[in-house]
Amino acid sequence: MGTVEIRDVRKAYGQIEVIHGVSIDIADGEFVALVGPSGCGKSTLLRMIAGLEEISGGQIAIGDRVVNDVVPKDRHIAMVFQNYALYPHMNVRENMGFALRQRRLPRAEIDARVMEAARILGLEQLLDRKPRQLSGGQRQRVAMGRAIVRQPNVFLFDEPLSNLDAKLRVQMRSELKELHQRLGVTTVYVTHDQIEAMTLADRVVVMNGGIVEQMGPPLDLYDRPESLFVAAFIGSPPMNFLEGVVEGADTLLLDDAQSIALPMSVSGKGRTTVGIRPEHLSLAATGWPATVAVVEPTGSETQITARMGEHVVRVLVRGRTDAQPGDAIHLTARAEDIHLFDSRSGRRRRPGE
Amino acid sequence: MDKTGRRDLALGVHGPAAVILGAMLAYPIFYTIEISFSRFDLMTFSAVEWVGWDNYAHVLDDYRFWSSMKVTLIYLVFALPLQIVLGFGIAFLINADWRGRGTVRALFIIPMVVAPVVAGGIWRMILDPLWGIMNWFIGLFGFAPLDWFGDPNLAMAAIVIIDTWRWTPFVVLIATAALLSLPRDIFEAAEIDGANWWSMLWSITLPLLVPIIAATFVVRWLGAVKMFDIALAATYGGPGGATNVINLFIYEEAFRSLRFAESAAMAVIVLALTMVLTGIFLIGARKLEERY
Repeated sequence: MGTVEIRDVRKAYGQIEVIHGVSIDIADGEFVALVGPSGCGKSTLLRMIAGLEEISGGQIAIGDRVVNDVVPKDRHIAMVFQNYALYPHMNVRENMGFALRQRRLPRAEIDARVMEAARILGLEQLLDRKPRQLSGGQRQRVAMGRAIVRQPNVFLFDEPLSNLDAKLRVQMRSELKELHQRLGVTTVYVTHDQIEAMTLADRVVVMNGGIVEQMGPPLDLYDRPESLFVAAFIGSPPMNFLEGVVEGADTLLLDDAQSIALPMSVSGKGRTTVGIRPEHLSLAATGWPATVAVVEPTGSETQITARMGEHVVRVLVRGRTDAQPGDAIHLTARAEDIHLFDSRSGRRRRPGE
Repeated sequence: MDKTGRRDLALGVHGPAAVILGAMLAYPIFYTIEISFSRFDLMTFSAVEWVGWDNYAHVLDDYRFWSSMKVTLIYLVFALPLQIVLGFGIAFLINADWRGRGTVRALFIIPMVVAPVVAGGIWRMILDPLWGIMNWFIGLFGFAPLDWFGDPNLAMAAIVIIDTWRWTPFVVLIATAALLSLPRDIFEAAEIDGANWWSMLWSITLPLLVPIIAATFVVRWLGAVKMFDIALAATYGGPGGATNVINLFIYEEAFRSLRFAESAAMAVIVLALTMVLTGIFLIGARKLEERY
């Protein structure tokens, strides 16, 4: 059984606590991505699941067994490292079979399992090569093969694609997804790349400063970020933010004395941040006045960078536009596409708050 | 700067170094080669007559030369592997995480900073048959006192022990640096793969260290073939030539027996042999590096 249960897990190095009580339940067969900026504790959490870091507080269970004091090899996990961590002096076949040899499995079974993994990953032709005779993508596949042959209950990936070039990264990403669909093994995947997390995972856990900011299915996080941090982190190009004070029922007074009429009534007190994704802003005859600064067409869509007073906003328009730098435009957004956050706490504002 | 100016600058910068190297290294080497092919006149203290390979023929006929070569070979065959194995072994142990390992590492440097002649002297005292601490120590375990410098085999053992005492720390130092530089994630991968302490050492650490072990061997080999000072201070080649390594023999022949031409021939033979063997070791080291 490949469930992973993380209960109020803490990690401290001496006096300094870096993970402050994280709880995540991962179902059997689920693909969960841990995502966040560097230093947020995502890799440390993964290493605690693997058993490479001690758990300072709380508990981690894999299957039905608490593994806090279980050595890595007995946790029924397999890990793929960022730098692949292939054994440089062993060829591909030996690399993949190493764990099985340590378990003293019969030779025939080792060969069979290695061949099967090689077939799945398309490595049959490379079995006798040394790691340094392989390309980055091939090494990555060998590292995955080494994980597959162990038939683990849980796969752990620590930024496995970050050493590949952009094109290969996209290709390996879909291979990874296909592999997960085929094998159905529970996967915990650490990345700092939110696109990777969104495209691969069934559920994304956004971490920041040693806590979980929000977790949920990728599109839920995209559509309904619970905090400014998640709103800013998920989505590319990033969400636009305008900060000010609510005046009356539906007007936001920005710091540069501009006032913006919102298409809904807002009851908030104190400073409020309005967040709107670039693709949710549209050009209209009336609305918030802005000036076009840069136009970047990519063919299928056009990104416009515009100035609203002292603020810079990005607008993503489907197809093409005849807007030119210097043009005066008006921007609008639908009420349901506007996110409101309390500027001080950074939390999402619910209606009536 | 124009071309001539650059050339002048290059000459100016490299010149002094070239002159010093020429005077201190090239000249003595070529002078030695000249002497080795000549009759050496002690009155004028110079090579006076070209005699071709005569000196070499004499040397190769001299059983004392061969016995010195054999003594040197025995010393190398015992001392080098011992120092490499001990050095990497100790490094492996003090690299494990335990309190006070920093202090132990620092203590290991001491033998290297002691002058070789002093080291020889200290060990002469330690190994003294009558009042040396070594015989007292092995006496605690019920062994009879040993005549360390009187018995040919024990004298060779003493030389190997002293040299090992002196040079193992150097190997420990290199090995420690090498161990610390090994990529950590490979060991973590092996840990997850279920490698125990032994297979971690045998299947992962040692293969990763092979190129460094080979390079350390070459460095130690170059130091060991120059073996002279410890033998001079501890045994003076004795007893009966049992520790008379080739460099000590050459020195004796030249400056005690004043047979400069023959000693020069021996020196050239040793130089050529060393160069050939070093070349072979370097090729071997590179081969190993490519394999691992």
